[in-house]
Amino acid sequence: MAPLQKRSLFALLLETLWALAIILVFISQGGAAKWDTDADFRLIMDGMWVGGLILYWWLFSSLDHRPDQFDERDKTIIDRASKVQWWAVIMSLVAWVIGLSEHYHAQGQIPVILLSLIFFSTLIASTLAQSVGILFGYWRMNRNA
Amino acid sequence: MPKIQNRIRRLRFDRNEMTQQELAEKAGCTRQTIIAVEQGKYVPSLELSFKIARAFAVPLEEVFQYE
Repeated sequence: MAPLQKRSLFALLLETLWALAIILVFISQGGAAKWDTDADFRLIMDGMWVGGLILYWWLFSSLDHRPDQFDERDKTIIDRASKVQWWAVIMSLVAWVIGLSEHYHAQGQIPVILLSLIFFSTLIASTLAQSVGILFGYWRMNRNA
Repeated sequence: MPKIQNRIRRLRFDRNEMTQQELAEKAGCTRQTIIAVEQGKYVPSLELSFKIARAFAVPLEEVFQYE
């Protein structure tokens, strides 16, 4: 298994745990109703996603770029994974736009909290998609004989 | 459909069973990439192809063939 492949597998596991932790904390601490009134709750949520984002950045930026650890094949796979990432972001936004437009059409406006939720979910989708895209890239390359 | 074939396995054998790790070190890439190239699962860039040929001290066309 290539070093980048191992790192992506590890990142996928951490990102999944991170996403589940954010969802669990959000629901268990009161959800949307508490968001509007409790600044501490918002701070905890902000800390969680910023912390996860830093971890994600560290996981990929700390990858050793020596030739025996990372080469052109790994770079090709990362470049291809960005397409998966791009699609995940677009599909996430499409789902939000359609869902919110239909649900809040009559009111003519959406609650402010949804802006944060759209951002969290898009960020999570993007980070998960990068790891999935990298792992898929290795799988596909190994399959093409 | 035309395909790029390679003789890396044969060339390694001819050089006293040079290991994939040794070839990777000489060519400046990972062992996993050498494995993928050797098995025809990855077509290397022109630069890496030249480095692999240089590691064997042979011309490029002795390592890779377009068939």
